[in-house]
Amino acid sequence: MTMTKSTISALGLALVGILASDAIVPSEAFAERRLNNLANDVAVRHRRLLVKNRFELTPLFESTINADFRHIIGGGLKLEYHFSDMLSVGVVGVGATAINTGLVDKIEPTLEDMSDPDTREPSRDEFMTRLNSMPLHGAAYVSFTPWYGKLAAFGAAFVAFDFYFQAGVSYAQLKSDCPTNVCNDPAPGQFTGPDMMTPPDGNPNNDDPLNSGSRLGLYLGGGIHVFLNDFIALDLTVRDYAFSDNPSGADFNADLAVTKDDSRFLHHLFFGAGVSIMFPTTVKRTP
Amino acid sequence: MKRLRMRASHRSVLFIAGLALAASGTAVAQPQGGEPEPEIEMGGEEAAAGAEGGVEGGEIDMGEPEPEPAGDLAADMAASEAANAAPVKAGEVTRTPLSWQDILVVVRKPFLKARRTELLPMVATTLNDNMVRHYAIGGQLSYYLTDVLAIGVEGLYYQPTFREPFDLVARQARRLPTINTYNWSASLNFHYVPVYGKFAVFDKKLITWEVAFTAGIGAGQSVVEERDKKYPGFTNLLIMPNAGASFRFFLTKWLTVNAGVRDYIFLDKFEPVDRAMYTSASQAKDHADSRLINNVMFQVGLSFWLPTSFEYTTFR
Repeated sequence: MTMTKSTISALGLALVGILASDAIVPSEAFAERRLNNLANDVAVRHRRLLVKNRFELTPLFESTINADFRHIIGGGLKLEYHFSDMLSVGVVGVGATAINTGLVDKIEPTLEDMSDPDTREPSRDEFMTRLNSMPLHGAAYVSFTPWYGKLAAFGAAFVAFDFYFQAGVSYAQLKSDCPTNVCNDPAPGQFTGPDMMTPPDGNPNNDDPLNSGSRLGLYLGGGIHVFLNDFIALDLTVRDYAFSDNPSGADFNADLAVTKDDSRFLHHLFFGAGVSIMFPTTVKRTP
Repeated sequence: MKRLRMRASHRSVLFIAGLALAASGTAVAQPQGGEPEPEIEMGGEEAAAGAEGGVEGGEIDMGEPEPEPAGDLAADMAASEAANAAPVKAGEVTRTPLSWQDILVVVRKPFLKARRTELLPMVATTLNDNMVRHYAIGGQLSYYLTDVLAIGVEGLYYQPTFREPFDLVARQARRLPTINTYNWSASLNFHYVPVYGKFAVFDKKLITWEVAFTAGIGAGQSVVEERDKKYPGFTNLLIMPNAGASFRFFLTKWLTVNAGVRDYIFLDKFEPVDRAMYTSASQAKDHADSRLINNVMFQVGLSFWLPTSFEYTTFR
């Protein structure tokens, strides 16, 4: 019995010692193991994979934001394939019409009907026909979706959403219609004549605006999907199509001639709203 | 006697071991190194229940909104008493597997605003003027009456810069634009927060956010930019209602990031077109052209919250 008693006492003391040391200095390994279960885990389990391995088809409306001379307003289509939750590739194309901004509407009525070389002021035709429009534009891009979540609106509507960012290549078809009776300077800013002795006319208002044709540039975008159900989402995007342009078709660098040097790298900001339809229409869940 | 001593010894060892185990368990359950509370906390009982039921711990279904619990505390207590009053059945107890679907987890809002003051230093810039871009610096002080309603004051000081079309129109179309710039504005605002949510960043970190709508009434000052500097300009004191929406992202219990859009609406007075007829500032002001202006500004800032912490008033 003495042996047993001492054995039990020793075992008890050892156990107390081990447990006490555990209590005083929390076992780091144990604590880490406990914390790491969540710390290294995904943020959300059983999550609906609303975009992964899905094809996105989005009819959309788009309009310029704060355009200088002409608002570009149109409709188009976005096609996108989501390789994963976060990565996708896509293309967007928009056909658009142009509407004069308030600035143009203010300037135009004050201009002369006919061109007057003495005033160096453009006529209405010279001013208006040089402005360009953008009947077609689009982009091919890679899209990154780092954030997803859900929100409650007015404590009643619970919807999933994600934020995405896009970068790629932009394309724009620009158009201006300056007739030959208005833009009639054959060699803007250059000496002409048989001996190249005739000086430039110094009038940029009759020069070709050089602001039509195809343009390639950079594309940046950012937006949000708000999922109305498993396969339909509201798609709101701000897009920046950046390329070389001279929207007014006028002499920007004040060298009294319109040349390619008057074009500059400009950002064309658009706001887009569309309805995304996801295929397949059923969703999977994460473990 | 010996048996009694052994029992006493055994009991004391078990007691100390139990204490140590309890202390150890507490230590383990606490976040290491005083780390902030995780976004979603798993109660010990729930974790144990999950383990017993053979369900992997930590699972939370974020996919579908869960059914709302009954909000009537008295009804809940009455139902509980009725259940307790039922006779206890004798015999073998059957263990029912418990799944996470059976456990209603209502995560507390991670940030409470009621009866707290928000100090928001911010910068802003014009979104919708293609002649003048204003940069503004200012602040907003708001007091939250509830978690979704607040009242506050705001002030902005503006610094104008002229954009490309301002020079372009003058140089190309030979027209001098008629524009006003802004000096300052101040307003009394009301805020309403109807939308809140959370999102995961890179599938790891959860961040909560909300959407606030703001409407207010205030005043501001605009300055006429003279087309011809030989005629003096004038200033206008404007009545300036505003409306807008903003996002708020919660970083800590006392710090948030705010970004939003605000539309300041006012009837501004511009230099008359036939300015040569009105040489003095007062004459020009009397014959000024009035126009309704929407000055839409993007605002971003960091909010500091006082008191810097808060207490939950309801149980988890």
